Amino acid sequence: MWALAWVALISVAHPVLNLGPWGGSAAAAEGKFRVGFLPVTCHLTCPVTDFINKQLVGEGLFEPVRFSGWPELKEAFLAGYTPATFLLAPMAMALREQGVPIKIVYLGHRDGSAVMVHKDSGVYRMQDLRGKRVAVPNRYSNQRLLIFRALNDAGMRADEIELVEMPPPDMPAALYARAVDAISSGEPFMGQTELDGYGRVLWLTKDVWPNFISCVLAVHEDMIRNRREVVQQLVDGIAKSGKWLDASMDHRMDAAQFVAEKYYNQHPRLLEFVLSKPPDRVKYSNLSLLRPDFEEIERLGVQAGILQGKVRFDDYADPSFVRDEGAIEPHAWPGLGRR
Amino acid sequence: MAATDVVVDVRDTWMSFAGNRPGEPIHVLERIGFQVRHGEFVCIVGPSGCGKSTLLNVLGGFIEETRGSVLVEGAPVKGPDPGRIFVFQENGVFPWLTVEQNVGFGLWQRPAAERAERVAHYVRMVGLNGFERAYPRELSGGMRQRVEIARALAAEARMLFMDEPFGALDFLTRLKMRADLVRIWQAERKTILFVTHDIEEAVQLADRVLVMTRRPATIQAEVTVDLPRPRDLDARGYLDCRDRIFALMGMDAHQSGVVVSR
Amino acid sequence: MSEQQPGKTAWFDWRAVALPAATAVVLLAAWHFGVVASGSDLFPKPHEVLAGIVELLQRGLLLKYVVASLFRVTWGFGLAVLIGVPLGLLLGWFRPAFLAINPLIQALRPISPIAWIPVAILWFGIADTAPVFLIFLASVFPITTSSMAAVQNMQLVYLRAAQNFGVRGLPLFRRVIFPAALPQILTGLRIALGVAWLVVVAAEMIAVNSGLGYLIIDARNAGKRYDLVVAGMVMIGLIGLVLDGLVRRLERCDEVRWGHGRN
Repeated sequence: MWALAWVALISVAHPVLNLGPWGGSAAAAEGKFRVGFLPVTCHLTCPVTDFINKQLVGEGLFEPVRFSGWPELKEAFLAGYTPATFLLAPMAMALREQGVPIKIVYLGHRDGSAVMVHKDSGVYRMQDLRGKRVAVPNRYSNQRLLIFRALNDAGMRADEIELVEMPPPDMPAALYARAVDAISSGEPFMGQTELDGYGRVLWLTKDVWPNFISCVLAVHEDMIRNRREVVQQLVDGIAKSGKWLDASMDHRMDAAQFVAEKYYNQHPRLLEFVLSKPPDRVKYSNLSLLRPDFEEIERLGVQAGILQGKVRFDDYADPSFVRDEGAIEPHAWPGLGRR
Repeated sequence: MAATDVVVDVRDTWMSFAGNRPGEPIHVLERIGFQVRHGEFVCIVGPSGCGKSTLLNVLGGFIEETRGSVLVEGAPVKGPDPGRIFVFQENGVFPWLTVEQNVGFGLWQRPAAERAERVAHYVRMVGLNGFERAYPRELSGGMRQRVEIARALAAEARMLFMDEPFGALDFLTRLKMRADLVRIWQAERKTILFVTHDIEEAVQLADRVLVMTRRPATIQAEVTVDLPRPRDLDARGYLDCRDRIFALMGMDAHQSGVVVSR
Repeated sequence: MSEQQPGKTAWFDWRAVALPAATAVVLLAAWHFGVVASGSDLFPKPHEVLAGIVELLQRGLLLKYVVASLFRVTWGFGLAVLIGVPLGLLLGWFRPAFLAINPLIQALRPISPIAWIPVAILWFGIADTAPVFLIFLASVFPITTSSMAAVQNMQLVYLRAAQNFGVRGLPLFRRVIFPAALPQILTGLRIALGVAWLVVVAAEMIAVNSGLGYLIIDARNAGKRYDLVVAGMVMIGLIGLVLDGLVRRLERCDEVRWGHGRN
């Protein structure tokens, strides 16, 4: 009897307390599709679009679903739970090679990654990392390819450093404890080590691979086939958000505020820091899909052994949703109006 | 002995178990044959491990004889029967039930009022009034055996098969239990088959004692104890009877020290 | 009759409070001075963790997350009990069923629930169903195994007594086999509940957005909030302590107390 009462109580209390307006899954019933993302700046346009939609239209047009790690993000897409998702570019390409009907429709950002070392370490250039341990988020991450490219530039071989995979949220503590000598992932986890006073930038992506792409917006082919207008609406929203973010530093500070608070549950100061110091640490303009960018990723991916080179740009990308980058206007939303 | 009176009729019954080595079965019972009349109190004595309990289990329907004829109440034994209740040495009282729930265990198909009445009656008969709501773990060993006997009687068992039921009790409790069992048996007139290795116990309780040999066991003698109850443990007849059984089992009661000198 | 040590069990035993409290004080002091001595400014000190818990309370998150985790454990563990106990009784009783199914159970049992995460996502998406499924998986095998063993270890005398009274079929299960096995089943449930609660962190690594496991993962995402990581650990530990205490109280019930050692 007590057991039944408990089951009833907990089964009522949980939905009441945890499935509220910002709780998420309530929207599923209304036929909105889910978009997967991680709390990193590479995926910032996802929550920004959702938030501005809510300001302008009064409700979100899709349901953003926050994940904590790359494998879960990928699996939710494969399970069809999130028909659209932000994803590592090489991971999307590798999935395509493995026969997953996935199409990259837009970029999430440009730049926005870094390689950090401990501020007291003697590492000042790539050559100093010889024999050291470097953390990357995932074998399919572009950060890993970034390290390969930096090694190429420095005339080093891949086996001269030890690469380990680590979830980005764990990287700052690992660097602090000196469990690894260098860490590399999307922001804000790199900036966090700087802000907390023990990390030092070895280099930012813009120094090694200008216009670096870590993450892309990818959708299931069925979405393009059956609900093209919805994908178009999503891409338009992301594109406008990118333009909006890059239109003024005030916008970025506003985004840091509402994304940190309502989506990422991070300290706003952290996002403010990585979105402004320097301002081109991460960029949200020129997010159209360009063939040469991906051919570079293909080349490095094959070299790193994560791609077989079986699929080409036309197989895994669909650039038809944004024909003219220059025609995109930022969202007509003035911001939080705090000033 | 009128044929209709006979409730247990065992003829030329053999029992063997598979041994550790194939083709070498262990012979436990050989050529067993005896009869028990309705309302009779029969004890079976024999050396430890001779197969007394095995014989009782065959009668109770828990194991099947290898060959022979075992008729109980006129029919071959097919399995356990609610009319013939076993009382176990290791105590088969259910520890998750109270005294009254245990006593009423066999009465689940009776109306509640009748059940309550019978439970109360037999709880009183075995002297457990006041302990109806107690759990077995709160009772002494002797009280637990009383619960088991009451449970058997309450279910209207016509026969009780008792397998060394007092074996685990201390000396004084054992004496008291014997006296109570005789009192109850005189009141209810159930047929009782009582297995024990304690010769004194057998002589104190039984109308007739079946004496078994070592394994493979057979019945070597029947001793009729024609003494009035309650029995005087110093009476000539009692001592003669006891000494005769000791002699049958190859022991001198006085020299072997099994008899406490009084 | 069962009043061993009169006056000692009847009265409130101050040592049951004072001794664990002393252990806690010693550990907290060691923790505090350990962090001070290491000079770490990432790892939180006890009072910072307490402040973290207070902060969670004030933001209303603590209640939400505790409820969410308890919800998942209730359903996952509850389903495991509903399926595991009857299945275990059945396997313990019917030898052909045991021969057919036990190897499968013993093969599935050592697989960590963490290994099931990808499968859970593919089968159940990421709503509450996936963590409930993981918690169910973690607890159903210990429950089944202990129920099965409970029947197999049951004293033969209870069975014979019941058969003697003509009890067979379903009533035999309900009136004798189940109560006879219950003490050992309860011990199995206590262990399984510990495992279920243990798995809550891993289960909430899937993108649910509430729960104590989520709190820990979320705090890692949040940058330098290791105070909240440890706060989550402390809450999980405290609730685990309470759950264990509740099942131990069940083991004191009259129907099962006989099976748990000293009266």
